[in-house]
Amino acid sequence: MVDGMKDPDEMEKKDRGDVLRLPDSSQAAVYNFVKVLITLLVALLMGALVMELSGKDSVAAYRALFQSSLGSRTAIANTLLASTPLIFTSLAAAIGFRAGVFNVGAEGSLYLGGFAAAWVGFTFTELPALLIIPLAFLAAGLVGGFWCYVPGVLRARLAVDELVTTILLNYVAILFTEYLVNGPFLVPGVANAMSEEISLAARLPRLAPPSQLNASFIIAVLTGLVMVFVMTRTRLGYELRATGDNPIFTRWAGISVPAVIEKVMFIGGLLGGLAGAGQVLGVHYRFVAGFSSGLAFSGMTIALLVRNSPFGAILASLLFGLLRSGSATMEIFSDVPRDLITVLEATIIFFAAMEISMQFFRRRRHER
Amino acid sequence: MTYIDMQGISKAFPGVLANDAVNFSVEKGTIHALLGENGAGKSTLMRILYGIYRPDAGKIVLDGEEVEVVDPQTAISLGIGMVHKEFQLVPSLTVAENIALGHEPSRYIWVDRRKMKAQIQTLVDRFGFSINLDQPVVELSVGAQQYVEIIKLLYRQARILILDEPTAVLTPQEIERLFSILEQLRDEGRTIIFITHKLREVKQICSRATILRRGKVAGCVEVAESTERELASLMVGRQILDIEYERSKNVGEVKLCLRNVRANDDRGVPALKGVTFDVRGGEIVGLAGVQGNGQSELVDVIGAVRDAEGEIFLGSKDISGMALRGRRNDGLAIIPEKRKEQGLNLATDIADNVIATRYFKPPFSKNLAVRSDQAEQFAAALMDRYAIKAEGARSLVSTLSGGNQQKVITARELADEPDVLIAAHPTRGLDVAAARFVREELVKRRDEGGAVLLVSADLDELFALSDRLLIIYDGEIVGESRPEDISYEEVGLLMAGHKHG
Repeated sequence: MVDGMKDPDEMEKKDRGDVLRLPDSSQAAVYNFVKVLITLLVALLMGALVMELSGKDSVAAYRALFQSSLGSRTAIANTLLASTPLIFTSLAAAIGFRAGVFNVGAEGSLYLGGFAAAWVGFTFTELPALLIIPLAFLAAGLVGGFWCYVPGVLRARLAVDELVTTILLNYVAILFTEYLVNGPFLVPGVANAMSEEISLAARLPRLAPPSQLNASFIIAVLTGLVMVFVMTRTRLGYELRATGDNPIFTRWAGISVPAVIEKVMFIGGLLGGLAGAGQVLGVHYRFVAGFSSGLAFSGMTIALLVRNSPFGAILASLLFGLLRSGSATMEIFSDVPRDLITVLEATIIFFAAMEISMQFFRRRRHER
Repeated sequence: MTYIDMQGISKAFPGVLANDAVNFSVEKGTIHALLGENGAGKSTLMRILYGIYRPDAGKIVLDGEEVEVVDPQTAISLGIGMVHKEFQLVPSLTVAENIALGHEPSRYIWVDRRKMKAQIQTLVDRFGFSINLDQPVVELSVGAQQYVEIIKLLYRQARILILDEPTAVLTPQEIERLFSILEQLRDEGRTIIFITHKLREVKQICSRATILRRGKVAGCVEVAESTERELASLMVGRQILDIEYERSKNVGEVKLCLRNVRANDDRGVPALKGVTFDVRGGEIVGLAGVQGNGQSELVDVIGAVRDAEGEIFLGSKDISGMALRGRRNDGLAIIPEKRKEQGLNLATDIADNVIATRYFKPPFSKNLAVRSDQAEQFAAALMDRYAIKAEGARSLVSTLSGGNQQKVITARELADEPDVLIAAHPTRGLDVAAARFVREELVKRRDEGGAVLLVSADLDELFALSDRLLIIYDGEIVGESRPEDISYEEVGLLMAGHKHG
């Protein structure tokens, strides 16, 4: 035998390696960046196509969109505001996906965390800002973390599919918080399902009035940087990457795969909870039933787009924030409904999912 | 009369010659065994016959006529059918739908379900399968799923049936039933190629056997005229190792000790039935056996990745209840059997792979952080020390040759000079130079006082390296000897399940 390999699969793995993964990591980063840009470009083109087909002026619409998201100081502040929860939720999704865990539960954590923060905010009204704000975030993080930790344990120890449990638990969380503000925490005299207002001390400072941009953006960015560190530089980061790459190898190396899955699920939930707290303490000043409108799902889109890179998730969150904040004004000035953003996001999911499933099928084919 | 004649078939994949001028011929109306260890080239040869691969050289003559099998469709039209190791069934479809899939009788644009079921029922009745055609396949036992696969071939009017390790997933009762069906098919004049590594089954049902070893034909024998022992020795072969290794000079304390270890395989069938043995410092103990007799499960159990009963000691410490991390910290190292699955993370680079068992210890870990520079330095040192050919510490292991991949694993496992090293098939599939390198590392570890358990399917390797041989058969240690005191033939006999005495 010549120097080398045992079986045919290996040849094909090598072939694939050239396509999917460049040997040099910086080269790979550039390659991935270009890929993300192309995906975004295609999404924008797809959006333009939809607009043109429905008789709208796509150029004017996009101009309005970018004008209203980047055109002024307030516009930029609103973009950052819109991106704040996405930074949390995209990282919540990314850390799970990177470890091979399909955690969809951040939305539920976001609601429960949001409620927990509101509860702290309207209950401990005597506390000063420096105590009550950290306490509210802590409560939100723990409640949110626990909410995903439970399905994490079920997945890790009993092989219960986390995708199913977290999707179902999302409904439980959303409806449960709705019950809370309609029942035990109902505010007399208010028609909408919402809690009391939080104390003034618990409100996060505004950074650029008249925009609602507030300190939760700074917390989000700092948390994001911590997550970049966690996922790329720490022991847990090593463990979760190995688990995502090859759980069998990870087990043979002596790493407890169930423990990694549980931690990752907890962190995902924790980030969801923080996202909820940020919205409650910084924007709404109370818990409002149904306030999220799928923030965690947009986070998953972002994670798919950047292929679970934590740093990429922060950048892409800013970009998605831009689209979201711009779309509201675009709707007013160009009669293109803001649902255009849904078209863009769906296109991105479509391409990201296509790439992932193509990899999957390629692998399947070569394994035979 | 020769029915299938594959002549001079060669097939190379980068770095390995999977089939090297293989001649393979089968008589019409017989059950012919294709025997060999993992990686011997059996599957490649059969995939060529079934049209999945094209051979680099050689030709296929079918019933006296040269044929080009360009794809499986061609193979099916030539009357060749194959049951793969992993069944190719649609779980949610019924038995009948699965059988007819792609070849449904049609009426205008509709599937003629009545005709389809009638045709299949005829087949089922003729062979006495007990199977409900309307049941979804997902509800069937593994044995019944295999019937579906076989009926599928018959429905497509296959005259040649290739069965790839058909008994691997079956219970003994299911195997008996399968065999009686195969005999009936043979008596009808169909030709069956039976891929296996289970000698007893070959003896039971096959008339001739072709044995492949390292891509070449090691022999073609009349089964009735040969013993299981002979078949076993043809399978594992006599490769002349180019170097003789000295025996241990210094056998010390017991470092690994198993007492009455019992475990089940993935199907829940007992695979280890009370295994007891010791490995001492300064000795290589070779575990010989025909594949599938409990070796893999034994390595799993020592690696704490499979539940087991019984006691395992590292030195004097009972590690039975400990997880692998703790066992590794206490001086255990494992070169696992499946290089690409268990041994390596192919998605990442050399540095990440070599720190997998030590990323949490200093100097690689400081506080909670993993230090990339330390990992790279360490990887570079190992690449130097173990002559791993790669561009750098951050080269992806998937781009390395098999030999260099195995060196990465070997380097990782030996770097901390473990007290106990389990090496499962550490040279399988490697070229001569890489295999020699790995063997020398095992010997060196022994000479430095380590206890080495070498699991191998290669008798020559075991005889060359071992200070003591253990023979495993059907989940039990059936023999123990110094290699000087036992012949190949005796080991072959024990491996085939003929106990001493």
